[in-house]
Amino acid sequence: MTQLTNIPAHLKKTDLTHLLKQMWQIRFFEEKVDEFFAKGMIHGTTHLAVGQEASAVGSIAVLQERDKITSTHRGHGHCIAKGAEVNRMMAELFGRTTGYCKGKGGSMHIADVDKGNLGANGIVGGGFAIATGAALTSQMKNEGYVVLCFFGDGASNEGSFHEALNLASIWKLPVVFVCENNQYGMSGPAKEMMNVEDVAKRAAAYGVPGKVVDGNDVFDVMNGVGEAVERARNGEGPSIIEAKTYRWKGHSKSDAKKYRTREEEQEWRAKDPIARLRDALIGEGLLTEESAAEIKAAAKKEIEDSVEFSKASPMPTIEDLMEDIYA
Amino acid sequence: MAKEIFMPKLSSTMQVGTLLQWYKNEGDSVDVGEPLFEIMTDKINIEVESYEEGILLKKYFEEDEEVPINHVVGYIGEAGEPVPDAPPGESGGSQKADDISDSRQAQVEDLTEQGISETSAQQETADANGKKLRATPAARRIAREENITLSEVSGSGPNGRIHQADVMSFASTEQPVKATPLAQKVAAAEGVDLQGIKGSGANGKIKRTDVENAIPPDASPATTTAKRVKMEGIRKVVAQRMLQSKTTAPHVTLTTEVDMSQAISLRKQLLEPIEQQTGYRVSYTEIIMKAVAFSLKQHPHINVSLEGNEIVYKDEINLGLAVAVDNGLIVPVIQHVDQKGLSALTADCKRLGIAARDNKVKPQEMSGGTFTVSNLGMYAIDAFTPVINQPESAILGVGRINEKPVGVNGAIELRPMMVLSLSFDHRVIDGAPAAAFLTELKEVLEQPIKLLV
Amino acid sequence: MRELTYLEAVREAMSQEMRQNEDVFILGEDIGVYGGAFGVTRGMIEEFGPERIRNTPISEAAISGTAVGAALTGMRPILELQFSDFMTIAMDNMVNQAAKIRYMYGGKGKVPMVLRTPAGSGTGAAAQHSQSLEAWMAHVPGLKVVQPSTAYDAKGLLKAAIDEDNPVIFYEHKLCYKTTSDVPEELYSIPLGKADIKREGSDVTIVATAIMVHKALEAAAKLEEQEISVEVIDPRTLVPLDTETIIESVKKTGRLVVVHEAVKRGGFGGEIASTIAESEAFDYLDAPIMRLGGKAVPIPYNPELEKSAIPGVDDIVAAVKETLNRH
Repeated sequence: MTQLTNIPAHLKKTDLTHLLKQMWQIRFFEEKVDEFFAKGMIHGTTHLAVGQEASAVGSIAVLQERDKITSTHRGHGHCIAKGAEVNRMMAELFGRTTGYCKGKGGSMHIADVDKGNLGANGIVGGGFAIATGAALTSQMKNEGYVVLCFFGDGASNEGSFHEALNLASIWKLPVVFVCENNQYGMSGPAKEMMNVEDVAKRAAAYGVPGKVVDGNDVFDVMNGVGEAVERARNGEGPSIIEAKTYRWKGHSKSDAKKYRTREEEQEWRAKDPIARLRDALIGEGLLTEESAAEIKAAAKKEIEDSVEFSKASPMPTIEDLMEDIYA
Repeated sequence: MAKEIFMPKLSSTMQVGTLLQWYKNEGDSVDVGEPLFEIMTDKINIEVESYEEGILLKKYFEEDEEVPINHVVGYIGEAGEPVPDAPPGESGGSQKADDISDSRQAQVEDLTEQGISETSAQQETADANGKKLRATPAARRIAREENITLSEVSGSGPNGRIHQADVMSFASTEQPVKATPLAQKVAAAEGVDLQGIKGSGANGKIKRTDVENAIPPDASPATTTAKRVKMEGIRKVVAQRMLQSKTTAPHVTLTTEVDMSQAISLRKQLLEPIEQQTGYRVSYTEIIMKAVAFSLKQHPHINVSLEGNEIVYKDEINLGLAVAVDNGLIVPVIQHVDQKGLSALTADCKRLGIAARDNKVKPQEMSGGTFTVSNLGMYAIDAFTPVINQPESAILGVGRINEKPVGVNGAIELRPMMVLSLSFDHRVIDGAPAAAFLTELKEVLEQPIKLLV
Repeated sequence: MRELTYLEAVREAMSQEMRQNEDVFILGEDIGVYGGAFGVTRGMIEEFGPERIRNTPISEAAISGTAVGAALTGMRPILELQFSDFMTIAMDNMVNQAAKIRYMYGGKGKVPMVLRTPAGSGTGAAAQHSQSLEAWMAHVPGLKVVQPSTAYDAKGLLKAAIDEDNPVIFYEHKLCYKTTSDVPEELYSIPLGKADIKREGSDVTIVATAIMVHKALEAAAKLEEQEISVEVIDPRTLVPLDTETIIESVKKTGRLVVVHEAVKRGGFGGEIASTIAESEAFDYLDAPIMRLGGKAVPIPYNPELEKSAIPGVDDIVAAVKETLNRH
């Protein structure tokens, strides 16, 4: 297994164990959701980020609490990393009134505006301009926050990517565009869908920095995104950080994964971002086997509790249908 | 081929209809939309119009006979066409081949149902030649309000479309008296002038019974002095239902006396605001109904009905209001009384009361009741034993308000007292809960401020 | 009171509001020193500076999404689209984002933005710059739709639209820009959802929108000479729609003619006609409801053809007389 980048010196032990715990939470949350979908206990569709935990956790780890994010259809990980309560997330997938959207949004629309999560988005590329607008508010009102805009390799082929990048670059807005390149836009391999190897290279067209990081190396992600956030906060404008990673599961629940090979999947599974972090922390003597197992168990229990919380939560009533609509 | 005339199903509960009178004799020619016969259902009397044209070939039933829904009543066709001698039973029956599957059969029935609804919807939609009648909604509304038969109005619009102005100018010119052919014959035989007789049929049409009732006593051919009136129409329905209720439901009646002082002052305070809002004066009936609805909500055991082996707890509180009409009693229902304020309630009660006296209550306005109030307070009646209006399980009788000496804190005072009589069906309601309900009702009427709680 | 043009009234509402509310700003193409495609923002950059009169690149997708993002984070943006035809390129952000965010997020998050845009034909700009597409927006739950016809209404409705906490599409008819009316100097608000009876009458009700209000009033004056009394109602806002005023009027007159410039097929006139057919006014109808709308054809360039593609005063006169059986 490949070694992780050196642990950033400023990180304390508590920060490091927190990173590990969040990654486990994401892993267990997604696995649990997968299980309930398979059992037919959750309906609709969902997009799981198993295998991509490091890019979500590492990117958000360098943010301040006031900073904001826009997320994607594969957004559960971003949401957890930004500090959302897993109970309310799971309840949303169960369609309960205690969910983040009172059961009206579901998997693709979880938002936690108070905590700076401006929302997942069911439209591929829907977040670029919204993040740009949020960054405009920060600039106009001198609020000092930075907006982190997550997107996938597929979304970088949407027109909105180019329009928003251009706009953010000319206005030098405090926004960082984080591409989680998981190699496939649904079934479309990135290498067939664009004529450049790296999404980050597209930054050149807008005169902004573009950098590739190892998306399964939480510290590499932190270093890359951290630098871009710093730059944005200093008024130097946007950047693109491209985290190369891989989704272990299919695109959505109905994906037979015919477009890729078992071997390729095994290759990436060997680069499991969680195992790499865990081993690194134990190797550095920052964590014992026992404490690592405790962190994992605690994360797992939280997810299991969230299921109980959701099952015990009330369903919306028909009267709730027309609530929160104004026109 | 001769076309069947059948007994239409006019409501979800209707099983049979009673043939009240034929407007046509065998051999008469019939146009589409022309009234053929009048029937009575469990809820209303209605004229059945033809949706075929031709000669009335056969009538299988005479007046006052009961006919199950969908059964063939007669045939219309061309003169000389063969028709069965005996009633063929259910409509469509003779065409059913043995190999028709159940689903096909169901389709046939569905189609028949559609046919029926079209028939009833055809009221006022066809002109004298059976063509679709063109009239604007406004013209139709005015015609409805003024009891004008649209087919008699000529339209000034494109393709003869009748406009509001056409109906109004028609209304301002005097119209000939409308009477059924039978009524005209009776009137001619008895020498009765049809002018001046109030018709009880649809649109004020004069029926045979109207003419008979108008025959002066000395002109009557009867040899005895006792007047004999045939049980029919509403009278007959009331008789059947009363008998049914009294013979199936063991009635128990509880009475209590209510001090109406505060209810009287409440009504005084409400008179003006409600009249301003609705144009109607609130009466004790509405205040009592409001209190009944309030008390029923607290005592769901009273708001029940017996269906087969099950006691059904009604989730709505819809109160019947017994209204005396000329030849009987009808009970329009005010829906959701518990959710209505006194002014809405007043408006509903008055409107339905007037409609009932004018014989204009729609079938749906007489269904769905869960409890009935019968007020005889306008007479010198203190208490009585009302008969339950089934399928409800209880009924409240309201007596007059009368000043009586009562003991108040050790002194005798004159207080306006009123007796309430609650009859209930002991099969489904026990004495104690009925007494508790009546006690609550008494307390609410004595302290109507509770209605605000 | 002084007279202002419709165009000046729109500008005045924005300027007065911007003087008292720092959160309000305008973004759009060529709205700076150029003053906007129709000159609505002329002079505003001089007063408010380029920060608040934001000249944008030609990127309708980015600027509409940026407005959504800025609104979601506390600003009250006014977005100017040069022609309402360009709504097609901003559609995703209006329909899939702005309209749905509040509901989708379970009531959290609000999008107080106004999209102002000139609509309609009559300028010889032909098929891609002359459409009236308001029915599209009115169809989408979550968007309010405003169509002022006079300078007075434009100022008051724009103030209400800016104050509204939800997205508003504000259609300005190009031919209305030069019309004048008395406009109070102070800022005032006309509630969204309140129709205006532009002329009282007793024989026929005309419901007309935007430029057709003026044509309907002209027709009413002609009809008065023939002793036909016409009531002209301007709904002013399509969403919310003041159905009560229209129903009451039709109950009074018994006749309804609906006129809009938008193509009749699938146009909003169908909504108004159906509303009446479903309402208690049905029983008062004494003639079939008539709809006048644009012909189902792209707006042509030739001025005579352009005129004949949409309802004119004579068409309205004829329709009114037809409902009265007068020829």
